[in-house]
Amino acid sequence: MIPDLAQEGAAVEKEWAPESQAPVVMFNNVGKTYGRYQAIGGISLALSGGVTGILGLNGAGKSTLFKLLMGKLQPTQGEVRLFGTNPWKNPAPYARVGYVPENENMHDWMTAFEFVSTFARLHGLTRDEAKSEAERVLEFVGLTDVMHKKIGRYSKGMRQRAKIAHALVNDPDLIILDEPLQGCDPLARTTIMNVIRELGRMGRTVLLSSHILSEIERITEQIVILHQGRLLAIGNLHAIREQLDNIPHTIEIECGDAKALARDVLSLEVVHGLQFPSSSKLKIFTHHLGEFHQRLPKIIVDNEHDVMAINNPDDDLQSILKYLTGGVR
Amino acid sequence: MSKKERGETIWTSLDRKATAIAEFTMRQYRTRLSTWVVLGVGFLAISVVLLFYIEAMNTEIEAIDNDGDSEDSDGDGYVDGQEFKYGTDILDSNSHPGLLDPSIEPEPASMYINEDDYDWDYSDASMITTGYDDDGDCRESQLLPSAQDGNSDGTPCNIILIYNAATDTYLIYADPNVDEDPDEDRYGKEAQHRAFILGVGKLGFVFLLSIFIPLFLATGLIRDEMTSGTMQYMTAKPIARGEIFLYRMLGYLAIVWPYLLVVCSLLAIVSGFMGPGDQFFRFADLGVWFSILIAALLATLVYGMLFAFLGVLWKYGIILALPIAAWELGMALLSMSVPESSFLRMSVVGWSMSIIDSAAYLVWPDMDMFTAAGAWAGGSGETSILFGTGNALPGYGALEWAQSDLGLGMGPYATTIVSMVVLVCQAAFFWFIGQLIFKSKEIV
Repeated sequence: MIPDLAQEGAAVEKEWAPESQAPVVMFNNVGKTYGRYQAIGGISLALSGGVTGILGLNGAGKSTLFKLLMGKLQPTQGEVRLFGTNPWKNPAPYARVGYVPENENMHDWMTAFEFVSTFARLHGLTRDEAKSEAERVLEFVGLTDVMHKKIGRYSKGMRQRAKIAHALVNDPDLIILDEPLQGCDPLARTTIMNVIRELGRMGRTVLLSSHILSEIERITEQIVILHQGRLLAIGNLHAIREQLDNIPHTIEIECGDAKALARDVLSLEVVHGLQFPSSSKLKIFTHHLGEFHQRLPKIIVDNEHDVMAINNPDDDLQSILKYLTGGVR
Repeated sequence: MSKKERGETIWTSLDRKATAIAEFTMRQYRTRLSTWVVLGVGFLAISVVLLFYIEAMNTEIEAIDNDGDSEDSDGDGYVDGQEFKYGTDILDSNSHPGLLDPSIEPEPASMYINEDDYDWDYSDASMITTGYDDDGDCRESQLLPSAQDGNSDGTPCNIILIYNAATDTYLIYADPNVDEDPDEDRYGKEAQHRAFILGVGKLGFVFLLSIFIPLFLATGLIRDEMTSGTMQYMTAKPIARGEIFLYRMLGYLAIVWPYLLVVCSLLAIVSGFMGPGDQFFRFADLGVWFSILIAALLATLVYGMLFAFLGVLWKYGIILALPIAAWELGMALLSMSVPESSFLRMSVVGWSMSIIDSAAYLVWPDMDMFTAAGAWAGGSGETSILFGTGNALPGYGALEWAQSDLGLGMGPYATTIVSMVVLVCQAAFFWFIGQLIFKSKEIV
């Protein structure tokens, strides 16, 4: 009963223990409605280990799924389990979870070091432990140089990394990142992607959401696609892509000489049609998007084409969704 | 015991979380301008009242000739008081002490103002024999012995005070010309001093500071974080929401309580030195100041819990808090006039003020007699039933307004303990409801 006023040395582990057989994350027929609006409905999903990308358009229910998992929302139906525990009822599993919310508001008046170390103490760490832990995770996300600056003066990418650092305290087994790349500059994007990949390599279960397929693609192959609050697909991104190859894709290339490029591109057997919207634009139709993208760079480089932009109007989430939902293209 | 062995219990890790959130909350308050504005305005308001008090203590209260014996009714150059002393006719200019043998020189009129002050001893007996005729206009007068003992108690030239428990008042039976011309300055300063302490304690600390500081600082304690979304960081950690509520409140108290301590101490010190009396410092008053501090600490705790709960309950919790503040103002005024009203039991301010009244009762046990003396005003107030308290001594009105009796029908110690327990229970109740609501709130 004696308060630990000095707060030095090491703390002792907690009494809560995860259920050994339970998956890290489990949704059983989970639904969440706000009044008459159904945010998600009837989702069943179990995940353990690896990096999983949750893909979906804005409003598909990605954040709702994470907030249910973090006990911030109460499911209207079904059950949510985090390490076998109901997170709405018991906050104990958060000792092993790191959560990076989508919300952009932060405690701007704190330095990243203060932010991370203060919240680290909520894991029951002493001041000493919290400080060294904060230094460790801030180094991991590459903020050591600026960690004593106020968060209010950080760029978007630095803020995002500070949030990630805060989530990595206490070395969690599950890390949940809600749109971690949104609004970040390319450099921050690369850093954050590396951090996430590294976490995956360390054997952590990582869940991250995005509405941009190419982002997820650079991090993981294991994806879950949400659409209008429903689970649309789950599995390997390449397997889904394979199926996508059976339908025609459009690639639009802006270049100096569209006709010259068309001549070289036609030599690829995967190309089955061409169109010239203007003299500097070329539209290419293919059934084998992946293979085309593998061979295109060589053609451009070998023939010294002057390419300004390559747009895959179809190679986005929208087209996958269209395909998966049976929409005709 | 090594450092590592310390902190083995659930309590020690709880208190790590508690200090983390409390420190975080304190720092958050410190970075907000609104905190300093609210605390600054509170300090200014109290300081203005303090300045009025200092001004009052430094202003001589004009002496009044309560018995009117400094006048020369017959215009013979001898004031009535002197004529009375020598048994000459105050209405006959041909009868005055100058015609006596030997001849007496006229005395200045000022000698007959404030010439017979109170010298009453306090006792909690129901009947007290007290008073002394300082100027001798009873003892040495030509009155018959039966007239010198107007109250028929067998002792000439004294005063009998009879306490009427039913009406909680003193009946004053004075022999003629005893304590009939009290010192207004002496009485008024003491009355104003006590009225200041009780008034600023009750309305300044327990009402004004204890309601408005929590209103502005505690209503958003949880709600602001929920609205801005920063609560997400805290609720993502292994900590129950009830704990977050409680520890945030600790941070709030860590700002508000030292502030109250400083402001209260400042007033206690200034009034201790400035207050009337021969002593260097009025140490006894510290008892009342301490009770004011305790009452304000508990009131800010209860209101803090209540307003934080209202903030959790509804985004515009401050709108819910305003009618409560109005109710409490009504209760504050009610407790000063009708302290036994049962409505007060449904307030925070009523219980808090009981603590102050109890301390005042202990520190100033003569309060009832003192206010009775002010109303009596040497006998000149006694006849004023028709004219109200217009003839009462200066400071009486303020003191009568600021002080109130113990309303719980218990002794001062029991009243203090019961009131403190009730306030702590109120705080615990609001915390319990608040965290229950907080737990059921979805954080979007």
